[in-house]
Amino acid sequence: MKILISLMLIFGLTFAGDATIEVIKKVDSLPSIGLEDASINYGDTFKLQFFKALVADLNVLSLFNVDRLHRTNHYNATDVVVDNKDMNYVLRYKMYEDNFGALNMDMKIIKKGKNVFSKNYKVSRKNIYMFISHAIAYDINEFMEEPSVAWMKRTVIFSRIVGPKKSEIVISDYTLSYQNVIIKGGFNVFPKWANKEQNAFYYTSLDGAKPTLKHVDIKTRKVSSVISSDGMIVCSDVSRDGKILLLTMAIKGQPDIYTYNVASKKYKRETTYGGIDVNGQFMDKNHIVFISSRLGYPNVFSKKLDTKEIEQMVYYGRSNSACSSNGEYIVYKARETSNAFERNTFNLHLISLKTDFIRRLTVSGVNEFPRFSEDGDAILFIKNYDNQSSIGIIRLNYNKNYLFPLKYGKVQSMDW
Amino acid sequence: MKSIVLSSVVVALLVFSGCSSKEVIVQEIQAVEIETIAAEERIVNSGMNPLSHMSMSDIESELLTVYFDFDKFSINSKAQRKITKAAELGKTGAASYNVKLEGNCDEWGSDEYNFALGLKRARSIKKALVAEGIEASRISMVSYGESNPVCEDKTQECYSKNRRVDFKLLP
Repeated sequence: MKILISLMLIFGLTFAGDATIEVIKKVDSLPSIGLEDASINYGDTFKLQFFKALVADLNVLSLFNVDRLHRTNHYNATDVVVDNKDMNYVLRYKMYEDNFGALNMDMKIIKKGKNVFSKNYKVSRKNIYMFISHAIAYDINEFMEEPSVAWMKRTVIFSRIVGPKKSEIVISDYTLSYQNVIIKGGFNVFPKWANKEQNAFYYTSLDGAKPTLKHVDIKTRKVSSVISSDGMIVCSDVSRDGKILLLTMAIKGQPDIYTYNVASKKYKRETTYGGIDVNGQFMDKNHIVFISSRLGYPNVFSKKLDTKEIEQMVYYGRSNSACSSNGEYIVYKARETSNAFERNTFNLHLISLKTDFIRRLTVSGVNEFPRFSEDGDAILFIKNYDNQSSIGIIRLNYNKNYLFPLKYGKVQSMDW
Repeated sequence: MKSIVLSSVVVALLVFSGCSSKEVIVQEIQAVEIETIAAEERIVNSGMNPLSHMSMSDIESELLTVYFDFDKFSINSKAQRKITKAAELGKTGAASYNVKLEGNCDEWGSDEYNFALGLKRARSIKKALVAEGIEASRISMVSYGESNPVCEDKTQECYSKNRRVDFKLLP
């Protein structure tokens, strides 16, 4: 018996923290939460809009069974509404407008009749209400002492194809509810945040004589050209300190990965294979993963910078043409079918450098452009399915995917 | 002792098999609205004007788009004939122009690899043009990946029309 227990203990300890193993949480065992709206000033349409955003955010937390019925109550009422009596938690909130037109919000969490958490929020305009919703979800997650969901508050930047050779670069929240077109007109692709603060970004302009990497300072609206290349140029990744870029360039018509020093403006060719090397992503300061066709089909490889050490990282999939890495984990896009004439399925898979497990993260359609959150808790990706383009989010530790559809156009690439 | 070890293995196997379930819960949150963008109609003009009097756009229309196989950037014999004709034009009627080769792909992937594939297609044509005697300095390349489709239907004809390299003349 002791042997059995110790065997199970060893197994548990070995695999407990491995994200490549799916943990199917029992949905029924999640605590329930009901919402009570005590808002004044605003009309029913807006109240419902906010309610839906908050329900969506709470669902993404994956901590509760969220009640989807919109119920109202007075903010200072002693009792929760009758229908919420059996809920483990009740979230009561009040939106009100101040003299300057700002949207104010008071919120409290009631558990067994007692206020256990309370906070207030304010944004200057009511049409950016979704950021309050994200902040509430973030705070509730902190209150529940779960691993951080700081990525909820981060801003997504994406390029949207609106016609042949026409695109827009858009800044949005992670649910695409807020969208601000920051570059309109022209043919601009592959936006990439330039720093952690998200106050500047790079993108590829395809309008000039040569593809050109440009840098935009959002505050000053200053656009400057960084470097041009014949054929193609993409900023694939930016180092944590923002000082080194991983570029895919084709200076002599040959797509390869280069490191680019932002301060000195010097670049260095990191791959020399005669086929295709693209999509460099920092694993840490000295290692990158990238996509190469050196086996005759696209697959994921790693390289130690300043050496010639190259290693194949993935041994599954017929065509693995995009990847992102975070510490020991790599998420990659694999073509599941290989047909020139019919719809192909592309799914995202997760591997760990420490185990042999492969976990499939998506099930249907074209899933691409995976991007880890900074803390590795979630993966953002693009899904194109049945003429519908969406941004999806995968909560790795909860085994849940959420999709946020784009109203028009097709997402070409994104970063967050 | 044997039975203890055996039951341990069975339990471990059960735990393993429980973990390998592939069910993924997908949740749609917002209502779906679809807006279709009209495809560009590609018109190929074919005139009978003598070469010396042709305008840039007339010559450009004589440069036929080269198509490629799925996930390939190699040139087949049909493509080679188009390139040979383009090279002849490049030495005669289009001798005063430079050319930009625009590589394109079908819609299977918006990633960098697709852009690189479009570029490799353009590069194959560049190499072939150089082999036919056109100066490399007259040729520039750009890849538009899947972002410049001439056809957006979900059919095999449509996909094959998008796997292409277009010739654009530059003054």
